[in-house]
Amino acid sequence: MIEILSVTGPASIQDLGRFDQYRFGVGTSGAMDDVALRAGNILLGNDENAAAVEIPIMPFRLRFDRNIAFALTGAAVEAEIAGRAIPPWWRSYARAGDILNIKAMSHGARSYLAVGGGIDVPMVLGSRSTQFRGEFGGLHGRPLQVGDILPCATSTAAIGEFGIEPAGITLARPNAAADESIVRVIVAGEYDAFEATAQELFWSSSWTITPQSNRYGYRLQGPAVKPKAPVEKRSHGIVPGVIQIPPNGQPIIQMRDAQTSGGYPKIATVIGADLWRVGQARLGGKLRFEQTAYTDALAAEDDMSAYLDRLRTNMRLVEEAGTCR
Amino acid sequence: MPIETTDIARLAQILENSGVDTIEIEEPGLTLKLVVDTRSRIAASASPAAATAPVADHFVMAKADVAGHFRAAHPWQDKPFVAPGQRIEAGATLGLVKIGLLYAPVVAPTAGIVDAVIAETGAMVGYGTPIVRILPLAASDPLN
Amino acid sequence: MMVPDRPRISLLGTSALLFEAPGAFDLPHQRRIWALAATASKWTDIREAVPGITNLMLTFETPPRQLDALIAALNDAWDTAEGLAIGGREIRLPVTYGGEIGSQLQSVADHCSLSIDDVVAIHAAPLYTVFALGSHPGYCYLGGMDPRITMPRRQTPLQRSAGGSVSIGGSQTGVSASPGPSGWHAIGHTSWTFFDPSWPTPAALVPGDTIRFVIERVIR
Repeated sequence: MIEILSVTGPASIQDLGRFDQYRFGVGTSGAMDDVALRAGNILLGNDENAAAVEIPIMPFRLRFDRNIAFALTGAAVEAEIAGRAIPPWWRSYARAGDILNIKAMSHGARSYLAVGGGIDVPMVLGSRSTQFRGEFGGLHGRPLQVGDILPCATSTAAIGEFGIEPAGITLARPNAAADESIVRVIVAGEYDAFEATAQELFWSSSWTITPQSNRYGYRLQGPAVKPKAPVEKRSHGIVPGVIQIPPNGQPIIQMRDAQTSGGYPKIATVIGADLWRVGQARLGGKLRFEQTAYTDALAAEDDMSAYLDRLRTNMRLVEEAGTCR
Repeated sequence: MPIETTDIARLAQILENSGVDTIEIEEPGLTLKLVVDTRSRIAASASPAAATAPVADHFVMAKADVAGHFRAAHPWQDKPFVAPGQRIEAGATLGLVKIGLLYAPVVAPTAGIVDAVIAETGAMVGYGTPIVRILPLAASDPLN
Repeated sequence: MMVPDRPRISLLGTSALLFEAPGAFDLPHQRRIWALAATASKWTDIREAVPGITNLMLTFETPPRQLDALIAALNDAWDTAEGLAIGGREIRLPVTYGGEIGSQLQSVADHCSLSIDDVVAIHAAPLYTVFALGSHPGYCYLGGMDPRITMPRRQTPLQRSAGGSVSIGGSQTGVSASPGPSGWHAIGHTSWTFFDPSWPTPAALVPGDTIRFVIERVIR
């Protein structure tokens, strides 16, 4: 078990998401940085879909009530377990009574705390992710509070301490500046409803991530991008990554807790391989969009899969070496 | 066929005896690279006096236990894990050895004061390569 | 160039595809969408076929390598789709129009150059059909609204609108099942449970069910 001692922002329990409930109006939820969640689970030998704690704002403190292996991935954080510093993307262990103190976040927007065996909240509609709008999943369908007790599954994970290369280093994009993320997008249904000049504005602008950005969506600020004529669509399904342009011309990127449908015109969609980069982009930071063809987007997903495959292979070598000792 | 620890020990012995400093074995799904740290061997044979110098007796060496590239700092952190003069606890992380995507920690074998970080960031290190020289706490602070 | 009588198919990144039927926002078109959804949901690599308002979203198990084949299959299936008539239940929903939650009732009346009583009467007159579920858990998109009370969506969506809001967005109407962000205009509210994750089927209504709004009260 884990007891939450201090929590600052809307921390929540997330797995990879709830992907087959759209027909009931239920969105995916799930980790905003799915690569970090998978990596944390790989580090611990967990099922990659095991639930973890997503922490968007520091400080965050908790106590472990038994000996347990854990991993911190995602954003770069300054963290200590029982007073020992933990580097980023690191697997460590706690003894019963140890306090984990995540003090600050130097870059990135969300840290993931995975534990050996996973956070053992009930599966609801096929997932342990928190569905805020529906108030189910995770822990009572709500953000974590001080005093919450999180059940942990039992695990036989080894307690060796080591780290892995963060996805942000292995999968770094060329030309990305500090505090500006470049994300690849595929144009969407209403792209042609915008004049060439408006399209150009969309591509050339460095968009500011406003404070109204969260797990529901990233609201961006920049020059107004307006269609040739107002577009009023019939409501249709949308997925995380869809970039809508409401009438004020300021793009909204739909994220994991987004509505499952909408009617604002869609100019583009962030590709699956880059959605985690948006999830790690900080409020006040910048985003730039790069047009990508569908086949290139699939190749980018292959690169992401290759990174995760290498992690799995590397971890197997560690396990084999460990069992030899 | 997985490589057994005994095989690795035998390979290391062969390297040691033959004076070869690196061997790499590749199999599907597995790469094994053994690096023998020849510097310590050379140092030991070239200047036996240094090994018995009175000051050296007090130091304890934190050594790499895997082969890879040494990093004094995590790539996401500006500050190195430790600096000379810093007091450390036994088990503290002193640096990293990067091997593939893995970052293996170099761990302090004892509490003490960091005397020097010997390995350079980016350098190839092997099993047993000295990384950080530590003045053990008992020797540096007899009152403790 | 727009070819008005052919469906439009567009990508939603690498995880889904959107099929938009040509023609009117009416029950015959929606019945063909239901039929298409039933067909496409059986295809390999398709995780879910999700009906919208005269459109259909297909989410992918894994992104298909051959998009052309999928698009051709969708077009063929649409051309041969017979309307699927679903005989649903009829639900009577008591609605309080206006008031704090339905604060946009006056704006809709102004926008449509109608009186509040007209808007309420026009809104409560039809027997609405549940065309699709979407937006948030248990939310139903309804077909059958009188176009006289059409009002475009908000310039900037609201961060929070109350649960049970009866709202108008463009030429559509619906009832929110829980509080959350919305780009629609709330004209009233109802208290009814649309969704419970512990039910065998978590949503109370399914496409094909019908709803009749019963005017419980009008707050001016």
